[in-house]
Amino acid sequence: MLLSSDKIQKKQQLLRPNMERLSSQTADRQPGPIRLADPNRKPELQQTIRPERVIIRSKDFSFYYGSKIGVEKITMDIEAGSVTAIIGPSGCGKSTFLRCINRMNDLIPNTRAEGLLAVGGQNVYDKNTNLVNLRQQVGMVFQKPNPFAKSIYDNVAYGPRLQGIRRRSELDAIVEQCLRDAALWEEVKDDLSKSALALSGGQQQRLCIARTLANKPKIILMDEPCSALDPLATARIEDLIAALKGTYTIVIVTHNMQQAARVSDRTAFFCLGKLIEYGRTDVLFTNPAKKETEDYITGRFG
Amino acid sequence: MTLWRQIKNTLFTALCSGSVLFLAATLMIFLLPMLWKGSKAVFFRKTVEFDKMQKELFKRGHAEDLERRTAQTNQARQEALALLEHFSRGIDTALLSREVRSAYQQLGRHLRYLEVSDDEYARLREQAKDIRDAFLQALETTDKAEAESLLDTVDAQQTNPRFQNSPFEVVFSLSKQYRQILQEIDLSRRPEYAAELDIVKTEMRNLFGPLPGESIPPLPQDRFGATRWDVAQRHLQYLIYQTKWVPSGKDDKRLIPKQIRRDDPEEGIFGKTELAPLFSMVEQNLAAMLQPRPTIYWRYFLDDSTAGHYFGGVGPEVLGTLLLTVLSMCFAVPLGVLSAAYLVEYAAGGITTRIIRTCINTLAGVPSIVYGLFGLAFFVLLAGNPSILSASMTLALLVLPVIIRASEEAIRAVPQSYKEASLALGAGKFRTFLTVTLPAAGPGILTGIILSLSRAAGETAPILFAGAVALGPIPDIGLHLKWLFQPTRALSYGCYDITVGDRLAMQVPHNQFGMVMTLILLVLLLNLAAVLLRWRMSKKLQGL
Repeated sequence: MLLSSDKIQKKQQLLRPNMERLSSQTADRQPGPIRLADPNRKPELQQTIRPERVIIRSKDFSFYYGSKIGVEKITMDIEAGSVTAIIGPSGCGKSTFLRCINRMNDLIPNTRAEGLLAVGGQNVYDKNTNLVNLRQQVGMVFQKPNPFAKSIYDNVAYGPRLQGIRRRSELDAIVEQCLRDAALWEEVKDDLSKSALALSGGQQQRLCIARTLANKPKIILMDEPCSALDPLATARIEDLIAALKGTYTIVIVTHNMQQAARVSDRTAFFCLGKLIEYGRTDVLFTNPAKKETEDYITGRFG
Repeated sequence: MTLWRQIKNTLFTALCSGSVLFLAATLMIFLLPMLWKGSKAVFFRKTVEFDKMQKELFKRGHAEDLERRTAQTNQARQEALALLEHFSRGIDTALLSREVRSAYQQLGRHLRYLEVSDDEYARLREQAKDIRDAFLQALETTDKAEAESLLDTVDAQQTNPRFQNSPFEVVFSLSKQYRQILQEIDLSRRPEYAAELDIVKTEMRNLFGPLPGESIPPLPQDRFGATRWDVAQRHLQYLIYQTKWVPSGKDDKRLIPKQIRRDDPEEGIFGKTELAPLFSMVEQNLAAMLQPRPTIYWRYFLDDSTAGHYFGGVGPEVLGTLLLTVLSMCFAVPLGVLSAAYLVEYAAGGITTRIIRTCINTLAGVPSIVYGLFGLAFFVLLAGNPSILSASMTLALLVLPVIIRASEEAIRAVPQSYKEASLALGAGKFRTFLTVTLPAAGPGILTGIILSLSRAAGETAPILFAGAVALGPIPDIGLHLKWLFQPTRALSYGCYDITVGDRLAMQVPHNQFGMVMTLILLVLLLNLAAVLLRWRMSKKLQGL
């Protein structure tokens, strides 16, 4: 049976939108050039960090949920402009520690902190700490993408608006810049008024990063940012982390050791609320100093 | 084993669908008759009296058309009304005696006008007085012979030239008339006739409005006959049938009611009188006398009503209900949502919170009359008099627990990650609540509002003392806010008032159920609006 040429043409026309969509999807897979951070401010990958480069300092820091220990006696310094990964088995306190840095743990009743945890020389758990300022300087990206049920534009503009920026032109500029920085601009620039919830999971997570960037933070905390995403979206987020490195100090909690090895400059290994080992990522993964670390990274437990 | 599991599954499905069907059936059984009866307030057959009422009370309708129809119906009624009038002359002696008295008074004036001498005047007056008294006595007596002899003494004076061509002459024609009536009726049964004739006259008034010669009644409901064909049918039954109490059996002394026609030749009270043709005349020509026409009285929802809800619609009631509902929501929603926010977001799960929550749950179960009494004891005393403000505040208190509970659940259901996202951006607790939690909890809160909206619109007991009246001025809504301090009518209270009103529900059942129907429709409409809003909100939240 032969199809008439008309029919064939029609069929091709029917197929074309599909093809186009497919090709645009493949375009998605190849991320465009991402704006690199200032190359002059590359972190120095020394085993010890020079004191003037320390941005987060934790000294004998302990955190308790009631009588239960969250983390205990954590002493570690985090270098400005670097990417620091925190790995460890479930329930080891890595998220707890991360959430202490911008005091998100305040939401949980009956908690208590001891020791020193300072961001930029300022004790986080000081009574006089301005939480608004702290959280603006220490942004956070969560495990599950959690954009607000607002438009893409309003999501990104949420932080600037909090800071009192009302001028439309100013907001427009910030939104565009942040979406570009989060490598989302090309995908959403045509419809910024679309609901953020209509985006895919990976796009939502990048939107959350853009939203955090809009606050112009010094530090970005990432709490397993890729655990709810597929490998493709994960790759894009990792690229993004690499691009943001230098401009921002990034602390990332991850279950995925390959990810930690790929993206981070330094890695901390937590176990049972204690910091077991902390050092340069390449060293930690190739030549761990502690037995527990070796067991964990080789998959013998955890 | 598998079979048993399948049976259990099927049974469960059947049980679930069965209960849903049962629910739907119950709802239909409850709602449909209400709506059916209520729809009669809007869809019915109007009579010419309805048009007259609309013309006079609401200034509507074609004057020419109405005039033509009035003339037609008057012509149709003429014979029956004349018959009734003639017959009632014999029974209702008050009419005759009034005429005789007035003739006597006019004679005096007539004599003065003729300027007769004083002696003559006194003599004639004396004579006329004797005649008058004889006539009046004849009217009062129940003995036929005595009455006739008295009338003879009256007629003896007929030849007196002084009375000829004077106003007093009418007395002799009246005497002649009465003589004729005496032949027709049994004087001994006159009191009995009088009582029944009263009923007949009332029903005739109910059917056709004031009888000819009667002055215009002060109350609007008495000024018109039956405005609706179904009402006319009812009054026709009342007109034709009388209830007689007869022994239930031969030896039984108990009496049972029996409906018999008033013109029944054997048992009917008017069967052997000359009034008998009236009943079949009205029965057969009622359509010509009232000219029923199907109508859709959609203005029912907007019109003001006459006192007692005899005519007109439920416009002020609708307005009052809307005002009360919306105002109570204005009080209850912010208060309820903020309380819920406090309970969820701020108050830790301590014993105080638990006590507060228990109190709220208890409040939700308190009978509404208790709220009504509280409203009377607190808001009304505080404001000075029952008013829209105090009533809506009482209603707000009533629905507050429902709103708090629904809002609490809705706010609790907002994912923690939403709030965290906002807090992590440096937003304060209040800002987070306002910009993130509240919009996300919106659909849930709206559900609570929908539930309480219906309740506030339909409750009677809380507004019973706090600000509802059966009859009152229509609130003139404006910026001056004076209307807030006036009582208002409301659908729920109006329905209650008609139902408990003395015989009112019997006279205007269409209005009673019309109010119920309007209330159901109003609540349905409000709900529909809220559901639509919720649908749009959740669609937005889902990013569609």
